[in-house]
Amino acid sequence: MTDRPLLEELRLFLGDPGAWWGTGSIPFRLGEHLLLSAAAVIMAALLVIPPALWAAHRRRGVTAAAAVVNIGRAVPTFGILVVVVVWLGLGPWPALVALVALSGPPMFTNTVAGVMAVDPAVVESAWGTGMTSWGVLTGVELPLALPVMAEGLRIAISQVIATATLSALAAGGGLGRFIVDGFAQRDQGELLVGAVLVAALAVVVEMAFTRGQRRLIPEGIAPDGGRQGREHR
Amino acid sequence: MLQLMRKGVVGAMLLAVALVAGACGSGDDADGPTIVVASFNFGESLILGEIYAQALEDAGYPVERSLGLGSREVVKPALESGEIGLVPEYTGSLGNFLGVTPTADEQSTWQAVKDAFEPNGVTLLGYAPAQDKNGYVVTSETASALGLSRISDLGPLASGLVFGGPPECPERLNCLPGLERVYGLTFAEFKPLDVGGPLTVAALESGDIDIGVLFTTDGVIAAKNLVLLEDDKGLQPAENIVPAVRLDIVDAYGDDLVDLLDEVSAAITTPDLTEMNRRAGIDQEDPAAIAGDWLAENGFVSG
Repeated sequence: MTDRPLLEELRLFLGDPGAWWGTGSIPFRLGEHLLLSAAAVIMAALLVIPPALWAAHRRRGVTAAAAVVNIGRAVPTFGILVVVVVWLGLGPWPALVALVALSGPPMFTNTVAGVMAVDPAVVESAWGTGMTSWGVLTGVELPLALPVMAEGLRIAISQVIATATLSALAAGGGLGRFIVDGFAQRDQGELLVGAVLVAALAVVVEMAFTRGQRRLIPEGIAPDGGRQGREHR
Repeated sequence: MLQLMRKGVVGAMLLAVALVAGACGSGDDADGPTIVVASFNFGESLILGEIYAQALEDAGYPVERSLGLGSREVVKPALESGEIGLVPEYTGSLGNFLGVTPTADEQSTWQAVKDAFEPNGVTLLGYAPAQDKNGYVVTSETASALGLSRISDLGPLASGLVFGGPPECPERLNCLPGLERVYGLTFAEFKPLDVGGPLTVAALESGDIDIGVLFTTDGVIAAKNLVLLEDDKGLQPAENIVPAVRLDIVDAYGDDLVDLLDEVSAAITTPDLTEMNRRAGIDQEDPAAIAGDWLAENGFVSG
């Protein structure tokens, strides 16, 4: 099982119909991986973006909030996984909590940076026309901050897709299953399939996102992309 | 003149280097080669490495430590190349690694593994009565609710139980395939976890798995009130602790060294090992201190 050449191991793994159909097949694990990643990013976005917008809008509490959110960046994802298993047992939560903690910081940071970078003169004039606080946030600051926020989302998504492999260490699914099992069983074919798929998935999703990202730029500051747009005002 | 002086300086330096090298060499010749004691990268192995290292030091042998070196994939080549001289091994696992099929018989497994290792320049000295095997563990609640004490008690129940162990378990002859072949057990589900680590213990305690794989000498079994199921049909091979030592070290020091190490090994029992693991794993004590206490209690060193 160790001495076969890599291509032979790859052929053996891919030649098994179980690799293509049913529980534990490549499409099944790919689905699990995407589902877990999407759930983690959506949960993290719901958790960190509203407080980030509000803190940046009021220019208050940003440092305190950032300190809390950045704990997720400082604590190793695997450590969070183990602690949550010990606390709550197996299931989807350990990986979800670990990935939410990982993807929160870039979205928080970029939301704050995006709002703070909006030209103060624009915000001043919005207040001056008699807009409410809510109106300034949703009508002026949020749309202008969107390109920077989208960049944070993109970073979060690619980190989560790469790191969601850890879920396999605590009996979870996803593409990490192939990497963890392939390593433990010295099955080089399975290991390679897992590693290549994770890398390819991260690249493909990132490319698709970059394409979609352009649509998030408000008309007023397009077509040059957010940064130049503001200078042309 | 300058030329001559330069030559003089170079000559003096060469002489100095030669003297230092000669001094080192003659030291080795007088006392014999330094014994580099290594261990694997888990707690029990660190303690065993310390036991052998301290016993040798106390008897006056030149010892260096390379404890926590890595997995068997790292340690075995280092032993064969002479980078390390002694490592506490496990007969059955080493046998599997060397392509020998170990059995539950201690003596024949030891002999077969020794015969397979010696052509590589490494021998096995006498083995300890202590063994550390893969054990199948349930919580005390599960054990009393289902009336479990032996692996064969699982027979009629296995199809409704969840089994958790290391990810290599479905491929290992002494894990899931062995449980099916020897005991006829097929479980409802297998959950891939860690190698006898915190995830397996947590999954047992939370009820995510009913049966887990832990090392039989793991202190956590007693600490968490877990029940180790008896391997009543002898699925696990003998896993006696045994010092694997380079033949050139045995040749250099002869019977004195062999007798000392054999005496130490003969005194290491499974309950001793379990208690030492408990002190290291649960009480977080230092492996060197635990090893020193054991040597003192067994009369190998004075206090």
